[in-house]
Amino acid sequence: MRILRSVRHKSCADGTFMKEFILNAPVTEGFFSYLGNFGEVEALPNLGDGFYKFEKVDWFSIKGFAGDTTVEVRFKKEVMDLTVDFLYLLFSSYREGTVDLSVLKQREQAVGKRVREHLYGS
Amino acid sequence: MADNPPIIYLNNAATTWPKPPEVLEAVRQSLALPVFGSGRTTGSQGEDYITLAREALSGLLAADPPEHVVFTQNATDSLNLLIQGFFAGKEAGCHVLTTELDHNSVLRPLYELERQRRIRLTVLPFENGSVRPDSIEAAITPDTRLMVTTQGSNVLGSVQDIPRIGEIVHDHGISFIVDGAQAAGHIPVNLRNLPVDAYVFTGHKGLFGIPGTGGFYLRDPESIAPVRYGGTGTDSFSLSHPREMPERFESGTHNYPGLAALAAGVNYIASTGVEAVAEKAERQTAFLIGELKREQNITIYNESPSLPIVSFNIRGMENDDVGFILARAYGIVARTGLHCAPLVHRAIDGGKGCVRLSLSWFTTDEECRLTAKAVKEIARNANSSFGSP
Repeated sequence: MRILRSVRHKSCADGTFMKEFILNAPVTEGFFSYLGNFGEVEALPNLGDGFYKFEKVDWFSIKGFAGDTTVEVRFKKEVMDLTVDFLYLLFSSYREGTVDLSVLKQREQAVGKRVREHLYGS
Repeated sequence: MADNPPIIYLNNAATTWPKPPEVLEAVRQSLALPVFGSGRTTGSQGEDYITLAREALSGLLAADPPEHVVFTQNATDSLNLLIQGFFAGKEAGCHVLTTELDHNSVLRPLYELERQRRIRLTVLPFENGSVRPDSIEAAITPDTRLMVTTQGSNVLGSVQDIPRIGEIVHDHGISFIVDGAQAAGHIPVNLRNLPVDAYVFTGHKGLFGIPGTGGFYLRDPESIAPVRYGGTGTDSFSLSHPREMPERFESGTHNYPGLAALAAGVNYIASTGVEAVAEKAERQTAFLIGELKREQNITIYNESPSLPIVSFNIRGMENDDVGFILARAYGIVARTGLHCAPLVHRAIDGGKGCVRLSLSWFTTDEECRLTAKAVKEIARNANSSFGSP
């Protein structure tokens, strides 16, 4: 799955920076299940085709409806420069079926170290 | 999920939509011929939209004389001009009153003056959507010079007792600036009788103009110093800015299409009748609140508003998520977050923000019914099934 472009930007009151991304394919329940390997996923499956929200604490959150090609991402502003590439990698690495998570997990660990250092100094 | 459900637009407290057809036509007409600026253009074919808009506003708000109606970019621009102009040339250190109900368009200019140590600021708390008159009386000090507050809350839809507040502050010789951005066009406003020194309006909300227009009515032009200078098309040989109204506060080229739209919007409201607008809004708002109150996990923050605003949260859900779901799954445009009124939210929801539905004359009963159904559906789902996929 690829991010085609971002269409809206906004600085939010909760200290996040929101970007709305247009994707080349609709998101699915499977996509959010895959994201669950990297953070918390919540779902309201009975609303529309299913509302999903992924949260990777201190990094970003992603929300959207299954079947929709638009998702809203909220980056924690202080570390957005560190995490944005990982977000793109999360999307581009996803495909139907089994996804090899090993590269993503290594990258997550490396970025996570820098995020912690930046936010908490350790 | 509906791919492209029809839009149900309930963000009218931000900007009204749709606009009356007359407003769109006025914009088209204003651009169809060269603009006619009184004193600046010798042509005679075009309308003088500035004068039309000034007279329309003067009529709707009973703001006499029309020349004391000044046009600006928006309400925030008006408040900045009035607040900065009030203190221009005055000694630093006097005391100013405002309220927790106010929008950042009031709070930020005042906090900036306080930061510069030019004023001392007291922010009064509110109860049941209004500041208590006795708390205003108690906060007044010998050096209180100005009170700035909103007529109607953009979060709670409450309307403050402006006549009573004006009476109190005027008894103490305090100037009174009222932000009518949310009220004008929604409730009757009669500036002939209202004890205010300046009344601020915006064009693109209840008055059905387009964004980029606003203004204020100023009773005594000498009470506020101009803080902008430039070309007015009058007395051009003088290098000093004119003192006459409205040129005293209007320099540079006007927003002709915007003012043409504003004149048409105001005339639309006047011909519809503000009372009729208010009556319909009250009925529809009461319906929405009545419906939402039936759900146990919906917290409504304003059960009896005077303006068509319903603010709520669904327990266990972030307001922003509710807004997202309303927009994407139901095509309902609401507004979430702090609504540029952080102190109201600190008082009502701990500063987390809420979902706001705001209606206009063009909101239909069916749209209210569908919205109530959608919000209740979201609330019921939030109750039962927020969990991992």
